[in-house]
Amino acid sequence: MSDSVMNLDGQEVSFEKGETVLEVARRQGTFVPTLCWDERLDPYGSCRLCVVEVEGRRMPASSCTLHAEKGMVVRTGSEKLRRMQSTLVEMVLSENPDDECPRCRDLGSCELHDLATEFKVGRNRFLGATSNASKDDSNPFLLRDYDRCISCYRCVRICDEVEADHAITMTGRGWNKGIATAFDGLLMGSECTLCGQCIYTCPTGALADKKMVHQGSIPGEVEVTRSVCPYCGTGCSINLHSRDGKMIGVTPVLDGPVNEGALCVKGQFGFDFVNSEDRLTMPLIRKEGELTSVSWDEALDYTSARFKSIRADHGPKAFYAIASGRAPGEGAYMLQKFTRAVMNSNQVDNCSRG
Amino acid sequence: MKTGIEVKDPVTTGILDRLMDQPAPFLEVLHAIQDHHGYLSEPALRLVAERFQIPISDLYGTVTFYHFFQLEPKPLPDIRICENSACCLHDLDAISKEVVDADLGVAHSGQVEKISCPGRCDMPVPILIGEKFFHHARAGAIDNMTAATMPLPPQTGLEECLFRDIRDGIGSLEGARSHGAWQSPKLAASDPQEVLSQLKESGLTGRGGAGFPTGIKWDAVRNESRGPKYIVCNADESEVGCFKDRLLMAHSPHAMLEGMACAGLVTGAEIGIVYLRWEYPEILESLQVAIDEATAAGLLGEDACGTGRPFRIVIRRGAGAYICGEETSLLNSLEGKHPFPREKPPFPTTHGLFDLPTVVNNVETFCAVPAILEKGGAWFNGLGLGDHAGTRVFSVSGDISRPGNYEVPVGTSLRELLETHAGGTPDGKTIQGVTMAGISGGFVGAADLDVALDPASLTDLGAMLGAGGIIVHDETRCMIQAARESMHFLAQESCGKCFPCRIGTVRVTELLDELIEHSSGNPVIRANPLEELADLEEVLEETSACGLGMAAPFITRTLKKYWPDVVQNYIDGQKTSNPANPRKGDSGE
Repeated sequence: MSDSVMNLDGQEVSFEKGETVLEVARRQGTFVPTLCWDERLDPYGSCRLCVVEVEGRRMPASSCTLHAEKGMVVRTGSEKLRRMQSTLVEMVLSENPDDECPRCRDLGSCELHDLATEFKVGRNRFLGATSNASKDDSNPFLLRDYDRCISCYRCVRICDEVEADHAITMTGRGWNKGIATAFDGLLMGSECTLCGQCIYTCPTGALADKKMVHQGSIPGEVEVTRSVCPYCGTGCSINLHSRDGKMIGVTPVLDGPVNEGALCVKGQFGFDFVNSEDRLTMPLIRKEGELTSVSWDEALDYTSARFKSIRADHGPKAFYAIASGRAPGEGAYMLQKFTRAVMNSNQVDNCSRG
Repeated sequence: MKTGIEVKDPVTTGILDRLMDQPAPFLEVLHAIQDHHGYLSEPALRLVAERFQIPISDLYGTVTFYHFFQLEPKPLPDIRICENSACCLHDLDAISKEVVDADLGVAHSGQVEKISCPGRCDMPVPILIGEKFFHHARAGAIDNMTAATMPLPPQTGLEECLFRDIRDGIGSLEGARSHGAWQSPKLAASDPQEVLSQLKESGLTGRGGAGFPTGIKWDAVRNESRGPKYIVCNADESEVGCFKDRLLMAHSPHAMLEGMACAGLVTGAEIGIVYLRWEYPEILESLQVAIDEATAAGLLGEDACGTGRPFRIVIRRGAGAYICGEETSLLNSLEGKHPFPREKPPFPTTHGLFDLPTVVNNVETFCAVPAILEKGGAWFNGLGLGDHAGTRVFSVSGDISRPGNYEVPVGTSLRELLETHAGGTPDGKTIQGVTMAGISGGFVGAADLDVALDPASLTDLGAMLGAGGIIVHDETRCMIQAARESMHFLAQESCGKCFPCRIGTVRVTELLDELIEHSSGNPVIRANPLEELADLEEVLEETSACGLGMAAPFITRTLKKYWPDVVQNYIDGQKTSNPANPRKGDSGE
């Protein structure tokens, strides 16, 4: 046997050094449920949903923390494992409030409810005390409804391990655990940069995009369009979420080559201008000191005439163009092309470069 | 970053300056600050975070994990009363009232807080005000808590190891040396292989409950090339019903220190750390005296016992958290990390304190080492009955005539321990059952009292020997209530990291509460409580990340095994078992 072959559900499968059994299984397309796992984070082993049977071990092991070893014989998905996973999902559901999570309506299903659907279980058994840990946080972007928290600590870990902001922490012990900033203050008073990574990794509706949550009344399905964030030169890959042609939110893209799922506060939340009522929808020309709406033909004729005369009178170097980070990438491209090819100037810039 | 510190707190800065170079100073620093200021203020914690290079949020979260760190100033201490299995056999509400009104000569807030077992089950009910313990022996009698009760003389013909000289004043260095203490470290330095071979021959296994062979553990650490290595003594005896380590540390501290020194000299570690539970303030004092005496006599220090090798011992005080008795939680706690258990493997022998090779042993384990090295591994091994090796100390409490600690040969029957040694129930009542391992090992019912006290025999019954605590319940006790109290403790002390334990221990507590309430006429909400219980037991045992959750099902499974009719009657709503008092705990939160 090769040094890097193990047996997964009766199949010989190869693995790479350092790979966990969960990673091997997922690569094979094997269904292994998880709630505390996020590929960007160190293995944590708290939800225990990913348990597998390992030959030679008396008890199942959490596959997210189990490194693949030569000759290891692992079984996923036995009847017993499925029963225990199903019980665990039911137990987790029992922690949450007994109402329909409004986030499902606004944001689509979450990981927890996907698992509930997969295991065909609901909030019927193991009923008792619920989390009751909602926090009133006045920040404009991040909803913190810890009533729906399942204490996987993905938010804490992404804030520590990926963002290195260390804004939030796990508090208390056992059932009385919680998630808080230092001294339990508001996010705005902490090291939080409102980057939104915590809401993106949250497997339930406990953390959510406040702005997106309230868009549920807009009819139609959520449409997702992949794009690149225009705000700065980093070039983070983003998904633009829209309903009925109206943009409702931005999320980072995990396989974005630059950001690998990260995003900053501007990229994630700074898109109010898109649907702003203050946006110009008609060209304006100042006539006798007053900005006056004009037709596109008039505006283009006027501009073209002025550009030509400026270039004739003062040369191409009199022309300088700067594109806005809020304009689409295509617009920025056209502007530099125009500046160089038409105005013969190299003086072109974009506020995103700064 | 907001620091909020305009003027540096000179006291905290002084504490940090003084302690930062000490081994594993984290807990010591926090205690020193709290002792001085009365609480851990935000500016002080920000200074600590800065010096330890811990994010302030993480430090805050870690501090909130423990029972006894305070984040707010409190002019007067609350009255703390044990609520767990042995003590809740008494009327805690009445005792609370009595304590509030009593003149104890100690100022308090008048507020009563129920706390987890402070390890004084032989002297129920312990009352803690500030750091002073009182003992409510009976109505109208609240006294100062005395030192750990000396064990009774052994039964005729019974040879002891740990207790053999304990009644002869070996608490002081002088007394200990007059009985031959502090001889073994020389052997450990000159012939470590001999020490290992004696330990292996002795059959000594970890007395904290896990039962790993001590000689093999030390050998593994000795063979590790990385260093510095550490010796850690787990004195975080927090299991309900266990108070043997408190006794050993009170009356035989030099045996423990000597055992640690041997471990250091065998493995090449130069520092030993005693992780002492917060609830043993009197031990903190007396053990420090013992360490100071041994250090002054050159037994510890740069040239430990004249071996030319350094070994010193420091005490680090816990802050109230049962889970810190789990060895990897304990190590995280010492390091200043969130005290969740670590994933194993790797084990502490290779990746222990600060990720370095570490021996972690229980107090009793270390205490047994000097005698084994003096009299030989074969001698200790031969103390056990039949094939069993050695002796063990059991803490017996509850409905028993002579509560206390007993050292008996491994393999002694439970009945002999309870009836011959501990005198049976005080008033001739029948024993209905006992808790094992403290409480987390489940129950043994009356039918099986002849079981031999060795790990395998208890496992065969579906229970666990564990750390040797036994709480006796007589015929008048309600065993469902007893199970509920045990599970409630585990729910209170679950660290909260892994889902099955965090949710499961609370749900089982609630389920038992529901059955108890049902017997008083309240409806059972669950359609099928026994099926829910079985499912919870299964995930607790098989998917929990550490021993706390894994052990929890012992309680309910043995409850159902020994008292199936009682359980069924509760489900049917007819209370048949009569609780001795009308105590009614709060729900699982």
